[in-house]
Amino acid sequence: MAKNEKVLRFRLSIDVGGTFTDVCAIDEVTSQLRTAKVPSSPTDPLTSVLNAISALEIDLAEVRLVTHSTTITTNALVTRDFPPAAMITTSGFRDVIEMRDGTQEDVWDSFREVGKPYIPRRDRYEISERIDYSGRVLTPINMDQAHDLAQLFTKRGIKTVAICFLNSYANASHERAMRESLLAVAPEMEISISSEILPGINEYERFSTTVANALLAALVSSYIGRLDEALRNQGYCGDLLMMHSGGGSMTAALAQRLPLRLAASSIAGGAMAAKYIAKQCGFQDAIAIDMGGTSTDITLIMNGEVRVVQQWCVEYGHPISFPSVELATIGSGGGTIAWVDKADALRSGPHSAGADPGPAAYGRGGRNATNTDANFYLGRLGNVLAGGAITLNAKDAERAITDNVADALELSVLDAALAIVQVADASTASAVRLLREARRSLSASAPLIVFGGAGPLHAVAVAKELNAPLVIVPPHPGNTSALGCLLVNIRHDFTAMFQSLVSGIDPGALEDQFASLEREARERLAFEGIPDQQILLERAVNMRYAGQWRSLTIAIGKGQDSIPDAVKRFQSDYQSQYAYLNPTAPIEVYQLALTATGQLPEVQFRKHEVIGGAPVRQSQRPVAFDEAGDFIATDIYSRSSLSAGMIVTGPAVIEQLDTTVLIPPGFKAQVDEWLNLRVSEVP
Amino acid sequence: MTPAKQRKGKVKNVRELDPVTFEVLRNSFSNAVELMAQQFRLTCHSFVIYAQDFSCALADANGDTVSQGEQDIAVQVGTQHLVCKNIIEQFKDDIHPGDVFVSNDPYAGGSHFNDVRVLRPIFVDQELIAWAMANGHWSDVGGSVPGSFDVKAREHFGEGLRISPVRIWSRGEFRSDVAKLIVGNTRAPEDNMSDLNAQSEATRVCEREILRLVGRYGKDVVTLAFAEVICHVANLFRARISELDDGTWTTSDYLDSDPAHGEGMIPITVSLTIKGDQLSYDLSKSSPAVSSFMNSAAGATLSGIIAGTKRFFPDIPINAGLINSIEVELGPTGSVINAAWPTAVSGFVSGSFEKVINAIFELWSEIMPERAIACSFNLEYLLIGGRDVRFDHRPIFMWYDWMVGGWGARNGYDGASAASPLFGAGFASQPIEGQERLNPVVTTHCRIVVDSGGPGEFRGGCGVEKGGQLTDAELPVMSYCCDRSRSIPWGTKGGLPSTPQGLWLNPESSRSEYRGAVFSNVELVSGDAFSRPSAGGGGFGDPLDRNLGAVLDDVIDGYVTPERAAIDYGVVIDSSDPLIHNWTLDQEATSHQREYIRTNRESWLDADAEVIARRYRAGELAQFDLIRQYGVIVEWGTGDLLPETTRQHRELIKKRSVSGWRL
Repeated sequence: MAKNEKVLRFRLSIDVGGTFTDVCAIDEVTSQLRTAKVPSSPTDPLTSVLNAISALEIDLAEVRLVTHSTTITTNALVTRDFPPAAMITTSGFRDVIEMRDGTQEDVWDSFREVGKPYIPRRDRYEISERIDYSGRVLTPINMDQAHDLAQLFTKRGIKTVAICFLNSYANASHERAMRESLLAVAPEMEISISSEILPGINEYERFSTTVANALLAALVSSYIGRLDEALRNQGYCGDLLMMHSGGGSMTAALAQRLPLRLAASSIAGGAMAAKYIAKQCGFQDAIAIDMGGTSTDITLIMNGEVRVVQQWCVEYGHPISFPSVELATIGSGGGTIAWVDKADALRSGPHSAGADPGPAAYGRGGRNATNTDANFYLGRLGNVLAGGAITLNAKDAERAITDNVADALELSVLDAALAIVQVADASTASAVRLLREARRSLSASAPLIVFGGAGPLHAVAVAKELNAPLVIVPPHPGNTSALGCLLVNIRHDFTAMFQSLVSGIDPGALEDQFASLEREARERLAFEGIPDQQILLERAVNMRYAGQWRSLTIAIGKGQDSIPDAVKRFQSDYQSQYAYLNPTAPIEVYQLALTATGQLPEVQFRKHEVIGGAPVRQSQRPVAFDEAGDFIATDIYSRSSLSAGMIVTGPAVIEQLDTTVLIPPGFKAQVDEWLNLRVSEVP
Repeated sequence: MTPAKQRKGKVKNVRELDPVTFEVLRNSFSNAVELMAQQFRLTCHSFVIYAQDFSCALADANGDTVSQGEQDIAVQVGTQHLVCKNIIEQFKDDIHPGDVFVSNDPYAGGSHFNDVRVLRPIFVDQELIAWAMANGHWSDVGGSVPGSFDVKAREHFGEGLRISPVRIWSRGEFRSDVAKLIVGNTRAPEDNMSDLNAQSEATRVCEREILRLVGRYGKDVVTLAFAEVICHVANLFRARISELDDGTWTTSDYLDSDPAHGEGMIPITVSLTIKGDQLSYDLSKSSPAVSSFMNSAAGATLSGIIAGTKRFFPDIPINAGLINSIEVELGPTGSVINAAWPTAVSGFVSGSFEKVINAIFELWSEIMPERAIACSFNLEYLLIGGRDVRFDHRPIFMWYDWMVGGWGARNGYDGASAASPLFGAGFASQPIEGQERLNPVVTTHCRIVVDSGGPGEFRGGCGVEKGGQLTDAELPVMSYCCDRSRSIPWGTKGGLPSTPQGLWLNPESSRSEYRGAVFSNVELVSGDAFSRPSAGGGGFGDPLDRNLGAVLDDVIDGYVTPERAAIDYGVVIDSSDPLIHNWTLDQEATSHQREYIRTNRESWLDADAEVIARRYRAGELAQFDLIRQYGVIVEWGTGDLLPETTRQHRELIKKRSVSGWRL
């Protein structure tokens, strides 16, 4: 062994967000977790990555694995920062992505409409070809036209193309022929074909997904190429894994083929961190709430898993039919504006003061009363945030609350501030209730796991509203996306059409279909260099009563009893989900699903010895709580001073760099062996 | 005084609940309705419900709506309380915990037979405090035609099963005999039984939530909150109305015709009055009922009034506070908007309903010019039924299809293209690939129709055209309903009309035949092709004032042809190489062309209509020319002039378009 050879002791994860870049590293020798947060570079995410790594003071030559999540794809979709691109489609169908399903997101406002297609009509081309529902060719593809298009694109300087033919899910040959024709003329072209990107029925979702994927290809390829090179220049020799929206990672090579899968990867990272913390604390079910400045993301963890949905979107009307962690987002955060409507009702949101001007207390010219202003007035927030980056101004907060709420409702400023926070908490609880209703089998004792700058301030009140017995605040509530990234396995989800009444299923055909999905999964994981023994394949079927439109995903095994077992599980899941059954109605399978995992060695965190002892307060200030109704002298603690086993009894406030935790009277926070705060009612 | 208290139109509220309890309960009621809607959406069987044709509401003990789903289909809003009150009136004291009622009676507040409403009374200790309601469009409720739309029906007996209010659950016992009677009279008994169940279970979710709130806040606080939430919306709405100037505005929109009375469009006349904080509508001057199924009964018309008004107040929730703040005079029964039993009403959406909405749009566009909008396309739906011989067991197929279309241009903005109808902006069209698997019909094309948006300074949204061909079908028959083949979506403030609707059989062949806007049970054979356009929306403002760059962009994108750019907008665009988007705007020719149109366009509207019709038949003039430049309406298949319709059309163009033109 050469003398200078380094030990590969670290696993590293980096999340580049819009405002901050977070990085986590676990030292596999000591189990110590290191984290850092740096401002994101406004111009180049690569700079953010490198800055974050250097902030951690880790030698990349000692890093075994890097996992990365980024908002570059989401940002490109939001800002529509796309290269010149074209879509080629079946003659007569170039408007599929413009007609969509016709629906409006706002069903009542004639002046709010769905955004235009990502590729404008002028750049959508038609070609003579047609395949029917069964895959039979009705009109052969016109190769002369195909060739002409290739020439035309060269002339127009178009290097990004989406090929979307009708019924191509049943027969991909025309799409492939079209691609070959383009590549023959311009081999460097970035082409996405719908039969490969999303081989399933229904043109609108398939075309929309394919178009978005094509538009991101050049961006992601160049970014990954540069990132890979920069990491290697600093001595990194491992794989680069990219977090995807489905709550797993994929290799950089695959990410270049499916760049759209990187959208929402940061959010997925947060959800995976919540899942991990739930498991760490011994819970199968949990509700994760991440409340930031302008919005709150809510995710449910059930049976130790984050639920994955098959369709989502960055922008309404542009569906992305790739698996994504299930999430509800509401416009409620620290900057959410409270206002009084013309009929004297106190409302919370949906407007937010955002980062600029921000809450009135920031003193940057904001005049509206926000949750942050109310929390600050109530003493729940101190006057210095983020380690001194922001100082709050009491007069501005008070004036905003007085002018916008207290006077209009003829309340004292104190009562107005309490009311603002209570209304905001109730609306967060309502959003959780809506998501929980859709997943009714969630355990009633599921705890709240809270993240984000504003989450731990509101968490106990929301938990009370929901009758959740416990609130968990992890040690680094502002660093969850990076943490989640560190924890995930390589994961891919596959689906195949298979529509049959349960009574008519041919077990051989079912097995064949699953076997073919499994082949595809193994091929993909082999492409990513995962050895066979690390591959985990899990089968499921999507089942419903015949005639229904929505289904439940039911795990299914192999062998003789697999179908009747799945039916039993369906009946019991349906009962717990919808509180009734149709015992005589026929049940059908309409889709097969396969989750393929490339298992990575599990991350081990350091467990702290539970010693206990009395926590030492840092200071005291008057804080108003809902229960007391007036200001009371309240102890303020620094999170970093709390060690495992300590108990902080409310009323109290615990401050840390990235958040503030509110412990109302009658509640206590216990520091566990992982340094999570567990907040619950004092019995 | 703070600025808040100086606001004009401020109504001082007397409210007993504190601000937090009030707002939390207000949110909780709407949350309870959303929870119910969510379960209904996840468990429904009817594909029409799945496409979002449903609504959910919570009412108080009197049946007054407290909260209504925010995503509810427009066509059902503002009517739930009528059905609820009808049940309360009929059953009086005979309403018990565990009861569930069902009704689809359009003559008692319902919309049409397909909209089956399920209502559950909510009790606290034997005291009725509220109602939960889940309403959905069943894909078939019997009658002589699949899908339950018999376009030829004069009376309801052929349309479908009328379910006057019945108890489907009695004190917790399911009355399967009654349920079977209902679903046994439909073509989809299994699906309908399942939906009856799904609806009933969805209302249980709302009940559970209300009882949770009662447990937390007490019955008295919850029922007080019902009243205050209703009052809150009334105050919000009245405050807004009182900010507006007093006055009365009147207009009419038109049905294509009354089949029993030859040609001539049928007016639906709406008057709107604002006085202080009171808004009133008067529709009593509308025509007598037509001899087709396009009439609406009182409930459906009220729904059009509420839905039309709501679009100018999108932020105000719908509940009894809004509904009861609007005075409505429909006049005596027997009219096209106040049809009496047993007049046929199943086609009311394509008929009266969307006309009421468009008329209301025109009135509010005068009052709130910043939200002004021209006329939008009309709901249209096609059904082909028969046997599918692609499979050995030759199953029955029902290709039930509806399209998106163009919305009216708005003050400052073009209209939305290819959007869901006014009937429900959340009502989804169906995937073509899914349809092709389920039916022996190949879709030949489905595309935006060039030039279909009504010209204007702001262009109307574009309509679409969908064509199909029957492949392996046995004894297929086709029925269709769309209206607006003659009553073309109109432009306003100088904007021009868009395009007509109507179906062509075997287009572009020797067997080409125009079948028009309404027909049923036309027999077809495999190999037959058909095509139908949805209309665009009307234009807003003088098209000669449209920004040249906007016209050029429309030409490059293929929303407007260079030919129509010259005729409709007076903009001359040449192309050296359209394939690489090499278009140029001829400024000088454009000035001349615009001047020429400006000087002559009024006189074109007085041209001899017979001569124009003849030139259409000779192929010298296009349909666009007739509608937009000459104001002439003909029978589109034969080219025969429709003199009365033309007279009406020209009068309307003068009122809405010419009056907005600069000389």
